Amino acid sequence: MSEKKQPVSRRQFLNYSLTGVGGFMAASMLAPMVRFAIDPVLEATSGSEMHAVVDVSEITTEPQRFDWTVNQVDAWYTSDVTKSAWVYKDENDEIVALSPTCKHLGCAVSWASNPDYPEEFFCPCHEGRYYKSGLNVPDTPPNAALDLFEYEVKDGTLHLGNIVENTVQEGGA
Amino acid sequence: MRWKKKDLELFFQSKEYVDTLCIPLVPLDLQTESEATKLADQNTSLQIILDELERNYTGRIMLSPAYTYIRSTDYESESAILKQWTSMFSNNHFKHIFLLTYDVNWKKHERLLDSNLIWLTATTIEDYQSDHAKKWVNEQVLQISELIRSYW
Ligand code: FES
Repeated sequence: MSEKKQPVSRRQFLNYSLTGVGGFMAASMLAPMVRFAIDPVLEATSGSEMHAVVDVSEITTEPQRFDWTVNQVDAWYTSDVTKSAWVYKDENDEIVALSPTCKHLGCAVSWASNPDYPEEFFCPCHEGRYYKSGLNVPDTPPNAALDLFEYEVKDGTLHLGNIVENTVQEGGA
Repeated sequence: MRWKKKDLELFFQSKEYVDTLCIPLVPLDLQTESEATKLADQNTSLQIILDELERNYTGRIMLSPAYTYIRSTDYESESAILKQWTSMFSNNHFKHIFLLTYDVNWKKHERLLDSNLIWLTATTIEDYQSDHAKKWVNEQVLQISELIRSYW
């Protein structure tokens, strides 16, 4: 966390897998050719930034939380930011990767963390609740479903990208 | 939430939901290199823990800018100033105020404070990206948040 003076250091190139949108955009502006030389992951996803998160074999039908770190560059700051997702396979064997950010005021929700609601996501801040699909439980503070991450499976590894709106209408299984 | 324009705007719209304030207490000392680097390191680790706490409880916890002071201070007068901070914040705003620090001197002077003191025992972490460090941070955050939630 000390050597953040140069926007594109050699180390950052080598650390591409931890490098977020901003850092990587800076890198690609300065050295567009290098990008293709580094890694196949990047070729496939030159549009949006995908991060390797977990081996698909670890994903079960029970939502689990996975964390990863991205290097985020805002106008004046470079910082390592930890991100999280709740990931599971639904009844059609499709991967679902939900953002943990509560749609009320942004606390992190957890699966089955409240013994009264073992089959729901629960927000510890003001008792917001969500079904497994991410849909918000009526009459709790949140007024929208948990967002989803764009995802991609490459060589047995789940990669997560941008956050997109979750359009589910019904509760999960 | 943080002391940032965007967060404060949201805070003023949703005040009734954001009832908890965390203030890091950060001592400074430049007399010897070993002490200075130790304090700087503790500052980093406290900040990482609080960032993570804030990330998990954004909607209910406001993270204050650090209260920074000279370590060889007279804790009696320092605590008087700190009380001015906490009374300004608690006045119609925060129901729960927590002071977080590695500085054991506050523990000794706890009776002078009118907020909840959370004293963390120090540790040295070489690489904050290591799995070991991440686990340690998660554990600290879990314990602190459990403590804070017991006041809610
Ligand atoms: S932030 Fe989740 S219920 Fe308020």
